[in-house]
Amino acid sequence: MTSACPLLPKGTAAYRGGVRAHGLVSAVPTAEPADHICWVYADDAHFDAAVRQFLAGGLARGERLLCVGERVIDSVRAEGSPVDGVESLIADGRLEMLTVAEAYAATGRFAPETQRAFYDAATRRAVDDGYRGLRVVADVTPLAEDDASRSHLATWEHVADEFVAHGPGMSALCAYRGDLPADALADAASAHPLVHAAPGVPAFRLFFDQGCLILAGSVDSFDADRLQRLLSASPVEGSLATLDLTFLTFIDGAGCGALARWARDLGARSITLELRGAPHLVRRMWSILSLDTLAPVTFSGVPA
Amino acid sequence: MTVVDPGPAAAAFDHEVLFYRGTDDFLAGVLPFVREGLERGEAVVVAESRDRLDLIRGALDGDDASVEFLDMAEIGANPSRIIAVWAAAVELHIGAGRGLRGVGEPAFHGRREAELVECQLHELLLNEAFDDGPAWRLMCPYDEQLLPRAVCRGALRAHPVRSTSLQRLPSAGYTPAGHVTALAERLPRPRKAVLSGGYGPGDVPATRRTVAHWARSCGLTEDQVEALELAASELATNSLRHGGGEGTVAMWTEAGAAVVEFSDAGHLQNPLVGRLQPPVEQEGGRGLFLVNQLCDLVQLRTSAQGTTVRVLTWL
Repeated sequence: MTSACPLLPKGTAAYRGGVRAHGLVSAVPTAEPADHICWVYADDAHFDAAVRQFLAGGLARGERLLCVGERVIDSVRAEGSPVDGVESLIADGRLEMLTVAEAYAATGRFAPETQRAFYDAATRRAVDDGYRGLRVVADVTPLAEDDASRSHLATWEHVADEFVAHGPGMSALCAYRGDLPADALADAASAHPLVHAAPGVPAFRLFFDQGCLILAGSVDSFDADRLQRLLSASPVEGSLATLDLTFLTFIDGAGCGALARWARDLGARSITLELRGAPHLVRRMWSILSLDTLAPVTFSGVPA
Repeated sequence: MTVVDPGPAAAAFDHEVLFYRGTDDFLAGVLPFVREGLERGEAVVVAESRDRLDLIRGALDGDDASVEFLDMAEIGANPSRIIAVWAAAVELHIGAGRGLRGVGEPAFHGRREAELVECQLHELLLNEAFDDGPAWRLMCPYDEQLLPRAVCRGALRAHPVRSTSLQRLPSAGYTPAGHVTALAERLPRPRKAVLSGGYGPGDVPATRRTVAHWARSCGLTEDQVEALELAASELATNSLRHGGGEGTVAMWTEAGAAVVEFSDAGHLQNPLVGRLQPPVEQEGGRGLFLVNQLCDLVQLRTSAQGTTVRVLTWL
C-alpha cells in the first residue's frame, strides 16, 4: 500500500481535497466519487431528505441508483417520494430496488467476501451499461438486529469501504435505525469516513483513501477493542500497510496497544506497518511502553 | 581520610542511607562503595545530580569506564519513575549473572517540598520492590547539612542500614512495610479555589476535554496539555474500571504548579502500581505507568478510604 495521503487540518467537518470526504456531518454532502456515509436515523422526514439528497447527487453524476431495504423502498415509493419519476427510472434501468433478503440473504450466508462480490458485479454491470458508477442506499438495520450477521457487519462495512475507495465506482449511504444497541451502531459507524449520528458516536472512524488507511477521531480504552477488531479484519495486501494518524485527535495507552498488536499480526504475515503523521505523544508512548518489541513499525511524516 | 569497611557482599537487597556533610564527606562515603563494586567485577550504576556525577567521575580519575552514570534530576524528576530504572538494571546485570550495586540520591538538596515527600515514599517502596528479589546493594546519600531534618528522619525509617563515611549500622528507625502507612496518608489540601466535578460511565472523553481546556487556560505548553489530557483519560478510566465506577476530578493552581487530582472509592492492592514497566503483551495496567513517565510529579495515595492521584505540572 503506497501513495500519499495529504495532510489536512483536524476537525469534525467533512473534508475534501486529496482525501475522500470524511467527518461527522449533519446533512448529506454534495455527491462525490467514493462517498461512504453511515446515516443513523430517528426522524423519518430527515431520513427521507437524506435519501433524496444522496440519490439526486447520483443522478446528477450519471450513476445508477440501487435502493436496498424495505425502509428505503417504502421511502422511495411513498407519495411525495424523495425521487421524482420512480417508475420511469426503474423502467429505463437507472434505479433498482432490492429487499434486504434479496440483496443479502440471496448471496447465501452473510459474509463480507460474498457481499463484496455481489456489489462488485453490480457496480461493473452499471459501468458496462454506461453509468459512471453505482450509488447505493441501503438500510441495513435488519442485519444489525440479527445476531448471526451482526458479528460480521462491521467487518463487511470495512471491506465495503475499501471497495468504495478503490473499486470500480460505488458510493453508498448505509442507514441504521437509531434505536439499535449503542455498541452495534458504534461498530458499524466506525467503519465509515462520513457519519451522521448522535454526538459522540462513533469515537473514531477507520477508512481507506488512496491506498492507505486513515484513523480519525479519538481512541481510548473503551474503543480499543473495537479498533482492534476492525484492524484485524482489514484487507491489507503487499508488504507495507500504511495507517495515517493525521486526523487522530486523541489516543491512549490501550489504543496504542491495539495498534501495536495489529503491527505484530501484520509482522507475522511479513507486512510492515507504517504509522504516518503520528502525534508526538504517540511516539513517546510507543517508546515508554516498549511497544516496538511487539513488532517494529516505521514512523513517517511530520508529527501532528 | 578514614576508610571504613563498606560492608559485606550482599546476601539480599541491601538498602542503605549514607548521611554526609559536605563534598569531601560525600566522596569519602560513596567512593569506597563504588570502588569495591568495581574491584568485585560488579556492575555499578550511579544516579546523582549532575554536579555530584562530575565529582565522582573526577575522583575516580579514569577508573569510571565501567560505571553507568544517570542524571537523577532526569530519571527521578518524578520519583515514581525511579524503581523502574533500578528494576531494569537488576534484570540486565543480575540477569546476566553479574553483581550489582547502585548509588542513588533521589532526595537531593534543592528539590521542592512535594518532591521530597514523594522521594520518601519511593524509598519505602524500594524495599517492597526488591526485598524478595535477588541480592544487590543500593546506597542512598542524604545531605545532612542542607536537607530538612524531617527528610533525614524519614530516610531512617525507609532504610534498614544507616551509614556515614565512618561507620555502618543497622537503622533502629527502620519501619518494615512503612509504605502502607505512607500510602494511606492524606495529601495537603489545596489552599486556593478548586474547580471540581464528578465523572461516571461514558464521561471519560468529556473529562479529558475539560482537563485539557483548563490546562490550556493555565498557559501550559501544548506538550504539557497533551500529557495532562492523556493522564485525565487514563486516570478517569481507572476509576471507572477499578475505582467503583465513578470519581471526582479537581483542578487548581498553587505556587509554581498546575494541579489535577483524581479521586475514587477504590483501593489499589498493588503498592507498586505504575512504578514498574508493564509487560508489553499485557492489555491493561499501562495507565499509571504512562502518567508517571509523562507528568512532572505524581502523588498517589490509596487505602480502604479510597484512592487519590494528584498530578502536578510545574509552571
